[in-house]
Amino acid sequence: MKKQLLPYLVAVLTLIACEKEITVDLPRTDPKIVVEGTIETGRPPLVLLTRTQNYFDPTSIESIAGSYISDAVVTIYDGNNTITLDRICSSSIPDDQLEAVAAAVGIDVNLLRQANICAWTKLDNTLLGQEGRTYRLDVQAEGNTLTSTTTIPGAVALDSLWFKLAQNNPGDDTLGFLWGTLSDPDTIGNAYRWFAQRINRDADGVPKDSRFLAPSFSAFEDRYVNGLTFDFSYNRGSEPFGGDDPEAGYYKVGDTVVVKFASMGTAEYRFYNSFANNVATQGDVFSNPANVRSNIEGGLGIWAGLGVRLDTVICVP
Amino acid sequence: MRTHILLILLSSFLSPVILSAQGTFTISGFVKDGSTGETLIGANVYVKETMKGSSTNTYGYFVLNVGSGSQTIAMSFIGYEEFTQVIDVSADMKLNIEARPKVIQAKEFEVVGDRTKDNTEGTQMGTVELDVQRLNTLPALLGEVDILKTIQFLPGVKSNGEGNSGFYVRGGGPDQNLILLDDAVVYNASHLFGFFSVFNADAVKNIELIKGGMPANYGGRISSVLDITMKEGNDKGFHGQGGIGLISSRLTLEGPIVKDKGSFIVSGRRTYIDVLTKPFISDTSAFSGSGYYFYDLNAKANYRISDRDRVYLSGYFGRDVFDFSGSDPGDPQFRIPWGNATLSARWNHIFGPKLFMNTTATFSDYSFSFNAEQDQFAFELFSGIKDYSLKSDLTHYLSARHSLKYGGQYTYHSYTTSTVNVSSGDTDFNIDTPPKLYAHETALYVMDDFDLTDQLRINAGLRLTTFNHVGPYTRYLTDDQARTIDKEEIADGKNISGYAALEPRLSMRYRMDGRSSIKASFNRGQQYVHLASFSSVALPTDVWIPSSENVKPQIGTQYAIGYFRDLKDRMFETSVEAYYKDFQNLIEYAEGAEPQNNGNANYDAQLVFGDGYSYGAELFLKKVTGKVNGWVGYTWSKTMRTFPDINQGREFPSRWDRRHDLSVVLSYDRSERWSFGATFVYATGQAVTLPVNRYFIEGELVSEYTERNGYRMVPYHRLDLAATLNNKRTKEKKDPVTGTITTVNKRWKSSWTFGIYNVYNRANPYFIYFGAEGNPAAGDLRVTANQVSLFTILPSVTWNFKF
Repeated sequence: MKKQLLPYLVAVLTLIACEKEITVDLPRTDPKIVVEGTIETGRPPLVLLTRTQNYFDPTSIESIAGSYISDAVVTIYDGNNTITLDRICSSSIPDDQLEAVAAAVGIDVNLLRQANICAWTKLDNTLLGQEGRTYRLDVQAEGNTLTSTTTIPGAVALDSLWFKLAQNNPGDDTLGFLWGTLSDPDTIGNAYRWFAQRINRDADGVPKDSRFLAPSFSAFEDRYVNGLTFDFSYNRGSEPFGGDDPEAGYYKVGDTVVVKFASMGTAEYRFYNSFANNVATQGDVFSNPANVRSNIEGGLGIWAGLGVRLDTVICVP
Repeated sequence: MRTHILLILLSSFLSPVILSAQGTFTISGFVKDGSTGETLIGANVYVKETMKGSSTNTYGYFVLNVGSGSQTIAMSFIGYEEFTQVIDVSADMKLNIEARPKVIQAKEFEVVGDRTKDNTEGTQMGTVELDVQRLNTLPALLGEVDILKTIQFLPGVKSNGEGNSGFYVRGGGPDQNLILLDDAVVYNASHLFGFFSVFNADAVKNIELIKGGMPANYGGRISSVLDITMKEGNDKGFHGQGGIGLISSRLTLEGPIVKDKGSFIVSGRRTYIDVLTKPFISDTSAFSGSGYYFYDLNAKANYRISDRDRVYLSGYFGRDVFDFSGSDPGDPQFRIPWGNATLSARWNHIFGPKLFMNTTATFSDYSFSFNAEQDQFAFELFSGIKDYSLKSDLTHYLSARHSLKYGGQYTYHSYTTSTVNVSSGDTDFNIDTPPKLYAHETALYVMDDFDLTDQLRINAGLRLTTFNHVGPYTRYLTDDQARTIDKEEIADGKNISGYAALEPRLSMRYRMDGRSSIKASFNRGQQYVHLASFSSVALPTDVWIPSSENVKPQIGTQYAIGYFRDLKDRMFETSVEAYYKDFQNLIEYAEGAEPQNNGNANYDAQLVFGDGYSYGAELFLKKVTGKVNGWVGYTWSKTMRTFPDINQGREFPSRWDRRHDLSVVLSYDRSERWSFGATFVYATGQAVTLPVNRYFIEGELVSEYTERNGYRMVPYHRLDLAATLNNKRTKEKKDPVTGTITTVNKRWKSSWTFGIYNVYNRANPYFIYFGAEGNPAAGDLRVTANQVSLFTILPSVTWNFKF
C-alpha cells in the first residue's frame, strides 16, 4: 500500500559510500513501561508489558527476557464492569503447549522456554471483544499507572481476495502477491490493518507460518480512499529477525493463506503507521526521526481494539 | 521606538549633505574590460590628488564628485593596469574607462576573496565578493567548481555536511538566504541531494555575499544575500570556453551582437554519470534502469541603446532527472524531475550624471515532482513556486560624501505547496487538487550612505514590506482528531491574511586611522516564505511555504560589531566580528509528519512553530597580494532552537549548530604555468538525533528518541589539493618583412586541473544509523551503530579551454 522511497535512496548512495561500525555514547534514562495490548472481535484481550532498555544494553536472552514485566495488575473496564485480567507465565505452561502459546502471544517459543515471560488475558471467555464497544485499560506496575481507551469498530470485510503472480523475474510462474478489493464506507476515519498466515505445511511438514504476520506498513487509512472501491496488494510479512527465505516477500502457488483484515480507529492507525516508520528508518538522513505515536497515558505502546474478519485464499495462478 | 530614532537620523543628515553638494562637478561613466567589453563591478575610481573617490556599481557605473580645475582621474582594479587621465574640469562630464588587463599572469592571481573593496573603508560588514575566475584553481569535489562550496569556507558560513552545497549563515536556515541570479530569486540552489549547486561558474561574473548588516535595498530573507551577476558576453569578438571533467562537461560561447554595443553569452553544462555508468550496470542488477543527470543552461544578452540606456535579458534553466527502478519483489520505480528557471529583463537608465536607475522584471519558477509506480499503483508528488516581480532602484549620487538609494518592488507569488496523486489501476484515489496559494508582496525602501565626518560613515535605511495571501483558496476543516471533514472555498481576490513590517537597517564605520576601523550594524527583517524540510539533505520533499493565517512571517534581528585592520600595506586584511541574532516564527515539520499526509489537508497542518537564536565570533585573516595568498577563517558560534512541540518544549541545538569551524584556503602561483591550491576545513560534529532506548513491538525492534539533536557526530575535517597546469599562452611570431621575432598571445589557451579530494582519506560522517541483526530469541541479536561516509579520497582531472 505504501511506497517507501528512502531505503532505495540509501541503496543508491551506498554505491559510492562506505560504512563502519562505531561506538556511540548515549545518555542513560529511566526505563518506561511499554504496553502491547489488543482486543479483537470475539477474542479475549491480550496484554504484554515490557520496559524500555538502553539501546546498547546487552542483547542476551537473559537481558531481553529481563525487560518483560511479570508483576502487574491489569484491569479492563468495558462500560459495565471492571474485569481483572489473569496472568499466565511461560514457566507454568507445560512444554508441549508452549508452541501454541507462542503463536498466540507472538513471542518466539525459545524465549518462552528459556525465560519466565508473562502475559495478561481472560482465560474463562467472560471478556470477548465486541464490535462497537469501548474498553478502558488500566495497568498498575512498578509504581506506575498506565491507562488507555480503545473502541472496536464495526469490521469492514474485503469484497474479494485473490492471488496474482508477481512475474518479477523472467520465467517465474510460482511466486506472487495477494490482492484484495475493498469498499471503504463513506465516512472519514476508517483505518485498516492486514495480517496473513500460511497454514499449509512446508516440505518438512512444519506449518509455513506459526501465526498471523503483518508485512511492513500493513496499516492504512481512508484519507485518500474514502468511500471508494479499489484494489490493493500486499507482499508477505515475515517473522522479525527471520532467516534467509527464498520465498521472502512472496506467496507461492499452492499456499493456503488466511487473511485477517482488521478495522481500527485513527489513534490505533497512527500508532501502527508510526511504528512501521520507526522500524524502517533508524537514524538515516532522509527521515525525520520520530517516536512511535502511542495511545497509552503514562507509558509507551498500544492498546488497540480491532474489528476482525477472516478470509482464506488458495494461491492458484 | 528604534525606527523613530532612525527617521530623525535620516532627516537630519539629508539637509547638510544636499547643501554640500553645491559648487562641484560630476564625472560619471562606465568602467569595462577593454578586451572583452564586460563591465567591471567594484572598480575604484578616484581623484589622485585627494585620494577621494567611489567604486562602480553592479552595472559598472560610477559617479565622481570633483572640484573644478585640473584633476588626475585614476581607476584601479586588481588584475588590470592602473588607468590615469588628467582632466580639466569645468562642467559635468562623461568618462568611459576601458581597463586593460595586466599581461603579467602572476598579477592576475592576486586575490581569492574580497576583490577590491577596502577592508576598512566601507560601512558594510560581513560582506565578501568572490572572484569567480580564481575558483578554478582551487580544489573541487570531482573537479566540479562550485561557487556555493567556496562560500562555505568563509567564516560565519557553514555547510550541511559532506558534499553538500547548501549553506547556513550565522545560525540561519537554508531558506533564509536570498539567492539572486541577475535579480531573479533562485529558490533551490542545489541539484539533487545537494552535492552540486546550480550555478555554472563559467557563466558567472561576480558573487557578493552579505551575511550581516543587510542594506535596505535587499529584503525578503533574514539571514544573508548572495547576489550573483552573470557575465554579459564579449562585445569585441567571438570567444568560447569550456571544460571536460569527470562527471560533466561545459561549454560557453560569447560574442558581439553589434560590436561595442551589444553582446550575448550562452553557457551550458550537463553531467554524464548516467551515460558513463550505464554500460557497467547489467540488466539483472538491482539498479538496471536507474540513472541520474542534471543540466544547466545560462543565457544573457545586452544592448546599449544609447549613452543613457542599456537593456539586458538573461535567463537560467536547469533540471535534475533521477530514475530508479529495482528488480526485487515489490520494488517501486520512480522518477524525480525537478529544477529552477529564471528570467530577468533589465533596463539601466541614466537620468542625469547623478541619478542612475535600474528597473528589472523577473520571473522565477521552481518545481519538483516525484512519480512512483509499483505494480498497478501510481503515486505522484508535486510542488512548486512561480514568482512574477517588478522592481526599480534609483541611486542618487548627491555628493562625494553622500549617496541616496531608493526604490520599490512588487512580486506576485503562486505557490503549489504539495500535491499528492495516487491511483490504483483505473481507480483514482480521491485526492483534491490542492489549492494553490496566491500572494502579493511589496517593498519600498530608502537608504542613505554618507560620510558624517572623515572618520564616521553611516549607512541607514528603512524598508517597508507587505505581504497578503489572497483567494482563491480552499480551506479544510478538521475534527478533533485532525481528520479533514469538510472544506470552504474562499473567493478570488479576497484577502485571507496580511502582514506589514517596517524594517530598520543601520551600519556604521568609524575609521581610527588609515589602516583600521570599527564597524557596527543593526538590522531587522521579515520573511514571508519558509522552507519545510523532511530531511537534512536536499530532497524533493522540501516544500516552500508562504506566510498565511497560521504561518507567521519569520522575523530576524541581528546586532554585529567588528574591528577591521589592514596590515603590511594591505598585504593582509584582518577582521574580528561578533554577532547576536534572534529568530522568531521558525517552522519545522511536526515529529512524525509525512509528505504523503499533505494531501486533503491544509498545507500547514503538519507544521509546528518556534523561535531561535545564534551568537558567535568570527576571525578572518586574509593575504591579498603575493604569490601565496588565501585566507584563514575561524568561527565560534552557538545556534539554538525552541519549539513548544519539539523536544517537549526544551531548547535544542539547531542542525547546523557548530561550536568551532575553521577554514583555510591557500593558493600559490609558482610560475606562469603552474599554480596550486589547497583547502582545509575543520568543524565540530553535526548535531543529530539518535535513538537512546529500545523496546520490542510484535518482535520488531523499536527506537525511542529522547533528545532532538542531542548527539554529536565526530568532528568533520578534510584537506583537498589541486594543481593547475596552463599550457603555453604565448607563441613566437616572426614578422615576414622585418624578420623580427615577437611574442604574441595564443588564441587557443588550455589548462589541466588535477585535484585530490579528501587527501588523507578521512571517513567523515554523513549520517549514523542503528542496525540490528541476529535473533533476540536465539540470543544472537546484535545491535550496532554505523557511520556512513560518502567520499573517500577522490582524484579528479579537468581539462579547460578558452579561445
